[in-house]
Amino acid sequence: MCRWAPNSMGGKLPFEPRKGRTDEAKVKDACRDRLLGLMVRVAPIGLMLLVLAMSGGCSGVRAVERPGPVAPIPTRHVLANGIPVIIQEHRGSDVVALQLWVRAGARDEASAELGLAHYLEHMLFRGTTSRPGGFMERDVEGVGGRMNAGTSWDYTYYYVTLPARRVVPGLEMLADVAVNATLDADVLEKEKDVVLEEMRLSDDNPRRRLGRQLYTQLFEGHPYGRHIIGTPELVRALTRDTLASFYRRHYVPETFAVVVVGAVDPREVLATAASTFGRLPRRGVTRLPAAPQPPFRPQRQDIPHPGGHAHLGLAWPATRVDHADTPALDLLASILGRSRSSRLVQSLRERDGLVVSVSASLSALEGAGGLMIIAQLPPSNLERAEAEILAQIRRVRDAGVTDAELRRAITAAEAEHEFETETAEGRAVALGRAETIWTLDDELAYVNRIRSVTAAQVRAVARRYLDPERYARLALVPPEAAR
Amino acid sequence: MNRALSVLIMSAMLCAELPAVATGQPPAVIREVLPNGLVVLVREDAAVGVVAASLLVRSGSAFESAETAGVTNFLQRVMLRGTKRHSALALAEAAEELGGALDASGDVDYAELRGTALARHWEALLTLLAEVATEPTLPPAEIERERTLILGRLQSRADQPFPRAFDAVVADLYGDHPYAWPALGRTESVSRLTREALVERYTVAYRADRMVLAVAGGVPRQRVIATAEKLFKRLPAASAPTAPPTMEAAPRGDRRVLERDARQAQVLVGFLAPPVTHPDYAAMRVLAAVLGGGTSSRMFVELRDRRGLAYSTGAMTSNPPRAGPSIFLPYIGTAPANADAAVAAVLAEVSRLRQERVEVRELARAKAWLLGNLAMDRRTSARHAWYLAFYELVGGGWEWPERFARAVDAVTVGDLTRVADRYLAQPTVVVLRPAERAR
Repeated sequence: MCRWAPNSMGGKLPFEPRKGRTDEAKVKDACRDRLLGLMVRVAPIGLMLLVLAMSGGCSGVRAVERPGPVAPIPTRHVLANGIPVIIQEHRGSDVVALQLWVRAGARDEASAELGLAHYLEHMLFRGTTSRPGGFMERDVEGVGGRMNAGTSWDYTYYYVTLPARRVVPGLEMLADVAVNATLDADVLEKEKDVVLEEMRLSDDNPRRRLGRQLYTQLFEGHPYGRHIIGTPELVRALTRDTLASFYRRHYVPETFAVVVVGAVDPREVLATAASTFGRLPRRGVTRLPAAPQPPFRPQRQDIPHPGGHAHLGLAWPATRVDHADTPALDLLASILGRSRSSRLVQSLRERDGLVVSVSASLSALEGAGGLMIIAQLPPSNLERAEAEILAQIRRVRDAGVTDAELRRAITAAEAEHEFETETAEGRAVALGRAETIWTLDDELAYVNRIRSVTAAQVRAVARRYLDPERYARLALVPPEAAR
Repeated sequence: MNRALSVLIMSAMLCAELPAVATGQPPAVIREVLPNGLVVLVREDAAVGVVAASLLVRSGSAFESAETAGVTNFLQRVMLRGTKRHSALALAEAAEELGGALDASGDVDYAELRGTALARHWEALLTLLAEVATEPTLPPAEIERERTLILGRLQSRADQPFPRAFDAVVADLYGDHPYAWPALGRTESVSRLTREALVERYTVAYRADRMVLAVAGGVPRQRVIATAEKLFKRLPAASAPTAPPTMEAAPRGDRRVLERDARQAQVLVGFLAPPVTHPDYAAMRVLAAVLGGGTSSRMFVELRDRRGLAYSTGAMTSNPPRAGPSIFLPYIGTAPANADAAVAAVLAEVSRLRQERVEVRELARAKAWLLGNLAMDRRTSARHAWYLAFYELVGGGWEWPERFARAVDAVTVGDLTRVADRYLAQPTVVVLRPAERAR
């Protein structure tokens, strides 16, 4: 839901998180997960130097080890009712990250249910049969912790960060929220106003609006093309019965995964998971697989948006997360526009002065993917900027990338993993997302796969996916500059 | 060993519920003053695979005027655009080879050069950072490129409802005090700043006795000190003292409406609050947490959960904290039709703080939330480096967060009533909303 409450200001504005500077940025990532989609899987991550090994004893337990001074070993257990529990000791600080991943997101909604996955996520914070509304004060914030959630197309996840010694009551709370939410009808009515405010906020933010509309163009006819937050009409008309039915259908052991990372005793965590989540009865639910990428139809669109600058987005259909080409596409996005030295930044921003910012990202979802390039620029530069982006696409298709570029992109992928694992919740998100839309093994092997990509493969995927004649193109333009 | 120590420090910060920590252990941080006066702080954590460095300089908006607004940030940005050894692109590539990046910015009370890398490259990272700090060339063509980008960022702030309303309330609260303008500067000043102005700022600010270097991560601390001494000995030592602003911050005007096409109205209700080193500072932070910190705060429960007025609401305080007067700022984003009701609701919550005693339960929740926030914000190498450097330079010593935690713990219900009465008397309100005809 992103129950977002600001707590700081200055250079760190609530809606402009500066990378790596505040905890707000992490909360905001989850918001973008839901609202924009560009953050869903921008850059997959994995463990370096890993060795896969079977741990002795308990069947269904797999351990992944790596040499060196870092002790944590993620282990995967399967409870009697099938719920996977991933546990990793992480003693960087005395906290624990507890996460519930639910294999139910916006793509699981029928056309009359749009926005339900997200709405449900809001309602889960508003009380359970044994925890009245306001339980967050006692169980979370009153002990110095945090709790929030995010909804994507492929999943919904709930994350709690607590002092490590609160791991047992934390798990009990999470299991309670997972299946015992009351979904009180009066509260549900009041929450409609909150969600409508969330829509307004999102509409006023040009980058979110651009990202959302670009997905709509790229995935026309596919659930990924829908707005996760739904429509004002559907939200206003929502009833408790509809929401409760969605909840009962999708919040079941078959869709859950639990991730616990922190300064904890794994045995205690597993025992608590077994006595809480492990007791939920299976419902015999099978989730429908994600629909494949729909046939792509290139579109061009200008949308008026107040302001002095324009925002340009170009997008190409790309790969799903488990596709063999994903690592090479990830590196291609990096070389095109994910760092200061990248090609688009150097050509459009530094050499030609056409844009204030430009970046490229890969969004590899469970069922489909896209490569997006977005830029902020004066409206008079729109045509030249688009032409230069296409020129850079042609260049990489024709001549490929240099060894130095490839090396830097691989180093960046390795480093991203290291930086992410500095906090328990950073690690937990990577593990939970992998378990939910991919596999833990693939996640853990990802950096190794990235390392084995060759320059020839990067050029090949540029030729395979980035057709300079066929792409989605969207611009938010100041009303006075709109044609 | 270091791992254990860092855990101890974190747990001391987190909250009263954590197990009592052993005392008498030396901290995991070492502090060294180099012969030229540069303070170096190192936090070694062998379990971490990365390194972060933060070089802070006593500079910033506090030392600027309406004409030079933004010069600190401008200089910092251009410093990344060339040294005697590297062009702008070569610098970026060199940092990326290390698995990291260099960045730079000007803030209110300081300027920062910072960098990150994989831990094994710590020496190369410090070498690059020292090069940028001591041998910048400030090439004229790069100054013009950067000017365009900064003007673009100013445009971007003006284009977005919240930043625009935020800048307006800050300007109204501080009046003629230099904290009134954003660290980015003003379009008018940034358009006119010359290379000479940047050089002058550099010459005044980049003196060892007004700088702090902090390094955190998987680094050998004694070798870091020795390397820093070698790399930064070129910095001139003494500086002519520059006085911080003596001007009083004086709010000008009590209520302003900005009309702008938007789907949501932004409501900000600001008050001036004490500096970070003031005895009332901790109580004001707790008060902000009671009012609008977290999802069990009064504003969140009343304005969002009960009344459905908002998606985002809360009470902000200046971040980073200020050496001078700071701000206490309740905020709500709401439908344009609800803007007046939202202003009234926020003001009612503020009055309640001044008239009724806060419940003990709320006080406990606010303290736990605040200290939890502080603990969770200090968990990455980059944040550790920043905290060490910032509090050493601006906030009264690198150990300040520990002292702040104790001060927060000591805040009483009576303290809250007293500071609410003292600081929350005169609201400065900014409302951004669409014009009547546009709705």
